[in-house]
Amino acid sequence: MDRSIIPRGLERAPLGKFLLWLLPWVLLLGFGLYSAYLCLRYGLHQTNMDNRFAFGAWIFLDLTVIALGAGAFFTGFLLYILKRRELKAVINSAVVIGFICYSGAVVVLMVDVGQPLRAWFTFWHPNVHSMLTEVTFCITCYLTVLAIEYLPILLKNRKLRQIPAFLVFEFNLHKVMYVLAGVGTFLSFFHQGSLGGLYGVLNGRPFVFREAFGIWPTTFFLFIISAAAAGPSFMLLTTWIASKVSGKRLVTHYVYESLGRISGYILSGYVLLKTADTLFWIRDTAPSLGVHPASFFANQPGYTALHLLEVALFGFLPMAIFLTKRLRARLGWLVTAATLTCLGIVVNRYVLTIQTLALPTLPFAEVLSYVPSWQETGTFLMVIAYGMLVYSISFRYSNLFPQERELRQG
Amino acid sequence: MFPWVYGFEWNAGTVIFLGLFFTVVIVILTTVTVAVVRSLRAFAQRKHHAVGWEAQFEDLGREARPCRHQLAGETDQRYCRHGFECKDCDFHRKMLDVAEGEAGDAPDRYFHRGHAWVRPETDGTVTIGIDDFGAKVVGPRARAKLPRIGRRIHENGTGWRFLLGDDSVRVLAPVTGEVVAHGGRDEGWYLRVKPLDGPFDLGHLLQGPEVRPWMEHEMARLLRLIPKDCHSDLTRDGRMVDDVTAHCSGLDWDVVCAEILLEP
Repeated sequence: MDRSIIPRGLERAPLGKFLLWLLPWVLLLGFGLYSAYLCLRYGLHQTNMDNRFAFGAWIFLDLTVIALGAGAFFTGFLLYILKRRELKAVINSAVVIGFICYSGAVVVLMVDVGQPLRAWFTFWHPNVHSMLTEVTFCITCYLTVLAIEYLPILLKNRKLRQIPAFLVFEFNLHKVMYVLAGVGTFLSFFHQGSLGGLYGVLNGRPFVFREAFGIWPTTFFLFIISAAAAGPSFMLLTTWIASKVSGKRLVTHYVYESLGRISGYILSGYVLLKTADTLFWIRDTAPSLGVHPASFFANQPGYTALHLLEVALFGFLPMAIFLTKRLRARLGWLVTAATLTCLGIVVNRYVLTIQTLALPTLPFAEVLSYVPSWQETGTFLMVIAYGMLVYSISFRYSNLFPQERELRQG
Repeated sequence: MFPWVYGFEWNAGTVIFLGLFFTVVIVILTTVTVAVVRSLRAFAQRKHHAVGWEAQFEDLGREARPCRHQLAGETDQRYCRHGFECKDCDFHRKMLDVAEGEAGDAPDRYFHRGHAWVRPETDGTVTIGIDDFGAKVVGPRARAKLPRIGRRIHENGTGWRFLLGDDSVRVLAPVTGEVVAHGGRDEGWYLRVKPLDGPFDLGHLLQGPEVRPWMEHEMARLLRLIPKDCHSDLTRDGRMVDDVTAHCSGLDWDVVCAEILLEP
């Protein structure tokens, strides 16, 4: 039975070995579900967040996975709108990863906000002036788009496609996929931006407050560009990891190289704009709010180090690797650069979420510290486990990498 | 969200925000509806077999779909993009115009790329079988599941299936028609099919000088699927062995047959 639903021509591990691989993730999922249950049942005092530290590990990690999941919209945009055909080799994987990232983020948000049965209230009585309302609407719509994009991948399963109705519907859905890719790009553009804008408009927190173009602070644009840069890098990294774990060649080197080149070009724009934004903030924005920029870093060596790491080690260095043809020719360098780019996203979202809230807003206040509780950690590990399970099952029973069969046949 | 909901205000922010939101929702719903309606229409117009084939054809590797004019040596490397439906192909029409007047006698057999042959009979029906190459790839161990008499088969839909253990592969039907007779293993698995409306159009099938280079191309494709150390076991006395996959350990019958019979 198992063999007959594995795509034809693809080699997969025996069922027993596969189930053994799933076991730790299932256990982790169970632990995570219990953690989430505690948070929903007994409330947020199960976490180490409080009224002053209202955004914790969940929001930081949500922002990170949503940025990394941008590979889905950006790969779709490049393939269906800009016709970069080589990305067909990774589009299925990109959709699955996007679906996992966004659905996982929504689940964690539901636990964070609490009272999921009242989630409809946000939609029924929207505060149209709130960045978070825009984020809620866009993420919900985009998750719907991703679910629709995931459907053809499922329907193309070897057994399911023998049912004529599924095969015909999958084909017709595929024919209109470019519309969904366009909608996904539009939605992603706004919700990635609004997540950044959320911090940029906090004029009570000069550490993150930024000048605006129109109604959008610069962080709005920086979030979009950084997500667009990290998306292809995350695709490169996940494809390489899937290839290593499965022991199969999944795509040609040209695909890795193409993802790296695209990431490199966008990253160069991001590094440039991020540097300009930081310099402008030091020279104009922070002083205009009555704060000396150095005050944020006084006696906080970690803060300075993270800022330098973010721009230099996780920005400039991977950009240089991606844009050097000789280095791009070697997979090891591409994977290194992609890892650094993804770490850059992690650091950026950490700085904006955790450091921003840790810094005092009143002269007599002190820097806050926050360590997530085991229930918070468990809830997020649930998403990791869920992602691993969905991806592993999709990888086994769907053709996530169309080049795999060709490469196997040599 | 709506004007009648408590707290709704008519202002620019609300109109722009909700306007964009509802536009996105309408676009998503319309897109899915279009796909559903097209699918339903394909079934209503009995075109679902053709649509299904189009979907499968897109998943075939390039090597599996060389243009018939490339096989005949009339053009450089060229791949089919029309599901082997030559009547839809401008290039084919152009080549026919060039070759006008050179048509020879009607051949005895025509060949579909899925390794089914078609032999027109004098009573207007056709006999369909699997060609020698296809039969040797499938091998004598497999049994066939033929369609019942009276059942319709559709061009590029499933003609019949070969089964071996839990695996099964289908043979593409080369024409559309109604099965009026069939023969079992001893008679070499065949179907006799009568046309549904008007005589059969066999223009999409290979014939005459196209067949040999196509068979050579298929042999090369088969050899690529088989480990090099097994190549010498594939022939005996200069002829291809009867059960190709049985002569090479570790070779998956299902994978090899599906690749050769064009089932992705």
